[in-house]
Amino acid sequence: MAEKDVPSSSAASDPAPELQTGPNVDQKPSVLVLGMAGSGKTTFVQRLTAYLHARKTPPYVINLDPAVTKVPYPVNVDIRDTVKYKEVMKEFGMGPNGAIMTCLNLMCTRFDKVIELINKRSQDFSVCLLDTPGQIEAFTWSASGSIITDSLASSHPTVVMYIVDSARATNPTTFMSNMLYACSILYRTKLPFIVVFNKADIVKPTFALKWMQDFERFDEALEDTRSSYMNDLSRSLSLVLDEFYCGLKTVCVSSATGEGFDDVMTAIAESVEAYKTEYVPMYEKVLAEKKLLDEAEKKKREEEAMKGKAVHDLNKKAHGDEDDEDGLEAELKSKVDRIHLGGVDEENEEDAEIERA
Amino acid sequence: MKYAQLVMGPAGSGKSTYCSVMHNHCLSTGRTLRMVNLDPACEVFNYPAVVDVRDLISVNDVQEDEELILGPNGALVFCMEYLVQNLEWLHDELDEGEDDYFVIDCPGQIELYSHLPVMRQIVDALKSWDFNVCSVFLIDTNFVLEAEKFISGALTALSAMVAIETPAINVLTKMDLLSERNKQLVDEFLETDTRAIVDQDETVWNSKHRKLTRTIAQVLEDYSIVKFVPLNCEDEESIDQLLLTIDTTIQYGEDLEVKDNYPEEMDPEQE
Repeated sequence: MAEKDVPSSSAASDPAPELQTGPNVDQKPSVLVLGMAGSGKTTFVQRLTAYLHARKTPPYVINLDPAVTKVPYPVNVDIRDTVKYKEVMKEFGMGPNGAIMTCLNLMCTRFDKVIELINKRSQDFSVCLLDTPGQIEAFTWSASGSIITDSLASSHPTVVMYIVDSARATNPTTFMSNMLYACSILYRTKLPFIVVFNKADIVKPTFALKWMQDFERFDEALEDTRSSYMNDLSRSLSLVLDEFYCGLKTVCVSSATGEGFDDVMTAIAESVEAYKTEYVPMYEKVLAEKKLLDEAEKKKREEEAMKGKAVHDLNKKAHGDEDDEDGLEAELKSKVDRIHLGGVDEENEEDAEIERA
Repeated sequence: MKYAQLVMGPAGSGKSTYCSVMHNHCLSTGRTLRMVNLDPACEVFNYPAVVDVRDLISVNDVQEDEELILGPNGALVFCMEYLVQNLEWLHDELDEGEDDYFVIDCPGQIELYSHLPVMRQIVDALKSWDFNVCSVFLIDTNFVLEAEKFISGALTALSAMVAIETPAINVLTKMDLLSERNKQLVDEFLETDTRAIVDQDETVWNSKHRKLTRTIAQVLEDYSIVKFVPLNCEDEESIDQLLLTIDTTIQYGEDLEVKDNYPEEMDPEQE
């Protein structure tokens, strides 16, 4: 494992001078795998990885879930090497959710390095897969999630795959809620969007496809379960979803049995074309936004470091010794060492072929 | 009739801050808000909670359990399902009196609303205990400073709303942290016809999704229950305005007025 740099509290990804004038549209695509907790994201990535290896077109795989205990696929870059989730909880006195966000934030500061690695290795793989944290909003409603998404999309073709648990989606209210959430992600990222109905071995997702094709049918199913209060709104929202479904790519898979994965690759290829025509023109705007977010994050981290210093100073005063600056620096440094920042500078080359626990 | 606000929203949207701001505001105006924490994964909050789900079960308890090997999300789901199995505990703890007004801090994870029946079950229980319930869905304004992101926020709120089926007020938080320019931008979103805003931006993506965007904008126009209310925690008037909107939605205060006018019908057991 590469020796890690210990960043000072004000270090963040400085906006590097832009050498490229736009995304490299010919580069292999990255696929952001999103979905509700329990939808089967990790299993999907596992199966897709195996599928691609079998066809001698291996993927480059990145795990962005800091709290996962076992990663059941050979992973090239693992956030858990950069930030130790349990240590973050301990060292910063955080609960599980706070720790996930902090891990993502810390990863985010190094993400330019990850992009470099992806670009460097692009010749050697067919697609880059990114597995995201279990709780979807840690990614979709966080600054670091946005920065990561925008960094990828500004660099090369990026596609979102939204995993749906078909078994749970048989409930029409759950289905509607899930699809509205998918639509919200579409508007958030503005990236090509593929809905993956997973767990097809448990429940055939044909019901979902029928609902998507036939508004009346869905509305009937919904009527049985909804309260009268929601009637009108519910029907109007069904119309919204009806529009959403037009031109929406869907695939039905079973990550357990492997069925449907040919369709996955076709959908990705088609989405890359959509990326070129729709996303690239928006690139400049997104890049400007990302810079703003980066700066805001940098400022926030500096403030937090100052806060930490303030707490530290208060503690010192309480214990009766007015200490010097060096004490604080040393403590911060050792704290950071313990949470093991670093390890992204070289990816796990030697481990890439091995299943990691 | 009792009243409850369910405070929900993504992590970082400002739920706990909202709760303490509301509590303090009402203290100063002589109103009693009874605060409840229903988030088993929450770490710290600065309002006095009359009920705290962590007295029943917490994510820490679950994660420390050696038999259950659960990650943070599994632990949260476990806690919520445990709560649903022990709703009498909640009922006892609430110990609600007539006209009591509760503010309930809920977990943020959308899975608990759309994917699992737990939040729905809790809402249904509250209704069965004679509560008028209203959702207060919070979104950090900083995430919606663009027409499409604004729509994204509205859709997320809707996603939760259709799942638990209560009236809802959507709140844009952290208005006090916005720059002047952004404040104006947000005001524009809130006051103008949503469609007009979206039509401004001519990009390939917008053209492709124009019809969808218009349909969504139509819903936002037609259903005032989906509108957003800005909240500036530093501004008493802003807090007051929001509270009034929520009270109206929840129909709080209507019964009270009747009681004032007909004092002979007032329940002698009440203060």
